[in-house]
Amino acid sequence: MQFSRNWLKDFIDLNISTEEICSQLTMAGVEVDGYESFNSKITGKDSIIKLDITPNRGDCFCVYGIARELAVINNLKLKRLAYKPIRSSFEEDIRIKVCKEAPIYVGRSIKNINLKTKTLPLVSERLALSDQKLIDPVVDITNYILLELGQPLHAFDRDKLEGNINVRKAKEGENLVLLDDQEINLSSNCLVISDEKKSIAFAGIMGGKNTCVSPNTKSIFLESAFFKPSVIRGRARRFGFQTDASIRFERGVDYKIQALAIEKASEILCETVGGEFGTIQDSKLTKELPKEKKISLDLDRANKILGTNIASLKAKKYLKGLGMNPKGSSRKLDLTSPSWRYDIEIEEDLIEELARMEGYDSLPTISLEPKLKIQSESKEKIISTSLVSQGFSEVINYSFISEDDEMVFGESKKMVEVENPISLNMRFMRSSLFPGLINTFIHNLNNGLESQKLFEIGSVFSHKKSKKPSERTRVSGLIYGDVGPNHWLDKPRKVNFYDAKGVIEKIIYNFNVAINFEPKSSDFLHPGISSTVYVGSKEIGHLGALSPNILGKIGLKEDVFLFSLDIDALKIKQLQKFTKFSKFPSVQRDLSFVVGKDITGHELSILIKDKGGKDLINLDLFDVYEGKGIEDNKKSIAISLTWQSSKETLLDSDIDKVVEKIVNSVKKELDGYLRN
Amino acid sequence: MDIKSLKQEISKLKSESSGLVDSSNDQDSLDKTYKSYLGKSGEVNLLLKSLGSLPQDKRKEAGMLLNQLKSDIHNAYRNKTSILSQAENELRLGNQKIDVSLPSVSTEDGSVHPVTKTINEISDFFESIGFGIESGPETETDYYNFEALNVPEDHPAKDMHDTFYLKDFGLLRTHTSPVQIRTMENKKPPHRIICPGKVFRKDSDLTHTPMFHQIEGLVVEEGASFSQLKGLLNDFLEDFFGREVELRFRPSYFPFTEPSAEADIKWDKSWLEVLGCGMVHPNVLKMVEVDTKKYSGFAFGLGVERMAMLKYDIPDLRLFFENDYRFLKQF
Repeated sequence: MQFSRNWLKDFIDLNISTEEICSQLTMAGVEVDGYESFNSKITGKDSIIKLDITPNRGDCFCVYGIARELAVINNLKLKRLAYKPIRSSFEEDIRIKVCKEAPIYVGRSIKNINLKTKTLPLVSERLALSDQKLIDPVVDITNYILLELGQPLHAFDRDKLEGNINVRKAKEGENLVLLDDQEINLSSNCLVISDEKKSIAFAGIMGGKNTCVSPNTKSIFLESAFFKPSVIRGRARRFGFQTDASIRFERGVDYKIQALAIEKASEILCETVGGEFGTIQDSKLTKELPKEKKISLDLDRANKILGTNIASLKAKKYLKGLGMNPKGSSRKLDLTSPSWRYDIEIEEDLIEELARMEGYDSLPTISLEPKLKIQSESKEKIISTSLVSQGFSEVINYSFISEDDEMVFGESKKMVEVENPISLNMRFMRSSLFPGLINTFIHNLNNGLESQKLFEIGSVFSHKKSKKPSERTRVSGLIYGDVGPNHWLDKPRKVNFYDAKGVIEKIIYNFNVAINFEPKSSDFLHPGISSTVYVGSKEIGHLGALSPNILGKIGLKEDVFLFSLDIDALKIKQLQKFTKFSKFPSVQRDLSFVVGKDITGHELSILIKDKGGKDLINLDLFDVYEGKGIEDNKKSIAISLTWQSSKETLLDSDIDKVVEKIVNSVKKELDGYLRN
Repeated sequence: MDIKSLKQEISKLKSESSGLVDSSNDQDSLDKTYKSYLGKSGEVNLLLKSLGSLPQDKRKEAGMLLNQLKSDIHNAYRNKTSILSQAENELRLGNQKIDVSLPSVSTEDGSVHPVTKTINEISDFFESIGFGIESGPETETDYYNFEALNVPEDHPAKDMHDTFYLKDFGLLRTHTSPVQIRTMENKKPPHRIICPGKVFRKDSDLTHTPMFHQIEGLVVEEGASFSQLKGLLNDFLEDFFGREVELRFRPSYFPFTEPSAEADIKWDKSWLEVLGCGMVHPNVLKMVEVDTKKYSGFAFGLGVERMAMLKYDIPDLRLFFENDYRFLKQF
């Protein structure tokens, strides 16, 4: 809301600068967006003050409300809302039926008005300064009252009304064309104003087209009603709009000013468009009116929560100024919530009022006493530290991805879809971190980064029937280009599968799990250069080269390596205690086997470990060779083995026996032999 | 052999060996010389073996003479070794010289994202005074995101959050406050926690991204007061920026706190909103069955990107999600 500063003068004599007004309002919780100077031909030097009012302070949605707030802050008297009553010249014959959602409806007819007249200069200036469009004198005056008192008014073309007025629930699916020509289908939890033939307004929100004031209007029927916030809330929003009226009604309008608003409007209307005024029809369901809330305030408790020492007299003065009629003993006060303050319901609300009046800044500041808490490092942090030390840079991508990306990389059969996405590219919740990594990689490649190591830690989502999607925390990474030594003493080489595998192993080293790599692929990976990571029989990750099909699509020839691990499946290592090491010498033997090409290093290693005896403490596969000297369909695998006993010095003759056992088993089980 | 010829032999070996040691120009030939006299089958050893052929009364004298010879050769050898190695060292010192300005050999570290870095910095402060770190799901139910936080259906406060809804079920959390609820449901007070994480709001322009990071904190203890909240946030901001900051609290509105406040810091001569906070609303505490007679609480929330932008002078919010390496490698 914005308004003319000079308008405030109608209600308080305030002799402080606009800057000071803005600062006072800000510090009282009425946020000021800013102000700008204005020179008025009517009122002289003026300013436009722009406010950003929080949803709890509906009472500040009008100039009078702001004046009331400033009066309390400055300890000034708020002027009474004065008006000159306009005498009626005929008896109103339209009867009004109210309901419990609309317990007050004040109406008045004005006949034979002159719509050719102009809105009064002061009214039109103030409307303009409030950024309100000028329409015609009648609508302008209703808008003026809304801005001044916070009471929305509506004017119907009286000649288009058919019979008496009824405020009622809409019929399910009831159709109504609004002032701005939009046609809406109401549901039964919406309120409408209707005459005996038709509905004529979306109550508290917007009038109907069928009865709106037009240049030909001769007589009007003015509405000043009170609708309960609960019957307005969310109703306009359901159709994707808000109005000045709905914003105020849903936050709560003072239920004691409806008649006054009509009187004030009548005064200005009489001066502007003239006409004959009818008697004021005032329909009320007293028992349905909001109740004045009785709240008691324990001043000791308030002081404890605020950390203050506000004396009873001072508290009473504050609360009296706010219109809450404090009564009672010195430590316990009984208060009544004012009709304009819908946010005053419980003791804590009063505590906030005390704090506001005291000034948040002048409340004491006390450091929070530190406490000891034993913390352990998070899995995410452990992984991040490991990857950063391996040269990886962390990226953070949006959790939303496009349908195309989800189709290619998605791992869940049914995608998690956002109902109201910000764009089509962000329609799905990612079930993989790879699309984001690949997009980031391409962005950086286009900016000249030829070698990249990226990782991201984040949630991935998968659909669950009529439940919240399930979420897993994952780490994924991408490696591209050169790896290894990258300096003038040595030459780098291109990244390969084993680099990615090493990264995974290095991460896993920090955790208490045993993993194995199986040659199972995923759709988006190269089937021959990829693997699935298992803990027992459970899949916990993938790694491999991006499928050439996808590489082609993004216009790349060189391999991109990807890896991912499910962090939720990892357990942090327990405290590692010291283990005794052997003081006896170790024995090392290097064995080179020739085996079929399809035999994996893993198969050979497992077999050797099995036959190597309990003193085999290390197995290191250090060379794989195919080519000259080896038969076409074979390869040689060289393994270095170390034995050490914790009880004795091993003899060569013992090791010879074990080696013989290994060689025999390799021959028998893998059809391999020892290379010379 | 008699003692006389032995003496002659010793004196011969002495002068002979001394000459050979002197003329050795490298360690290898010196070692060879040494071995030829003092090795297992060296000349001195051979003489020692012949001691048996001497008469009994001369043996002692002969033994002493031979030992003297041994030690003479040994000393000569040691002196020469030291001279040779000194010469070699001088040669190395004189000839070897590298260009120390050439690039070093080391592996380059990667980097953590500035958002993570900022979250870590903030977490470190709170952990040091006894806060635990809690996390929770990014997809939420209406209950945890709104209802349990005292935001009823259709309340205008919902307009403060432009919520993303999921097609089948739930929504994307608009703040990390649901984690506070989940924590209070699962654990008994007192509580000191912070909840960092991603949050989502349907907003995208120069100063808004549809996803960003938040850290919210919660303290529920006996005697938790607004003054402590002010003190804590003041301490935190000074720790975070590494200097004294001018801080101002003003009333605001959040459905889940009462009294509610917004904290501004003085930045380049004007006030800048940095976080929202307040005393936890009794309705929220009651929802999670915290005894409001015994405990009171306060909570606060801040935007991580915003804090990082201020601290590191980052001009544009969108840089955080472009992940350009020229940006990332600076952190």
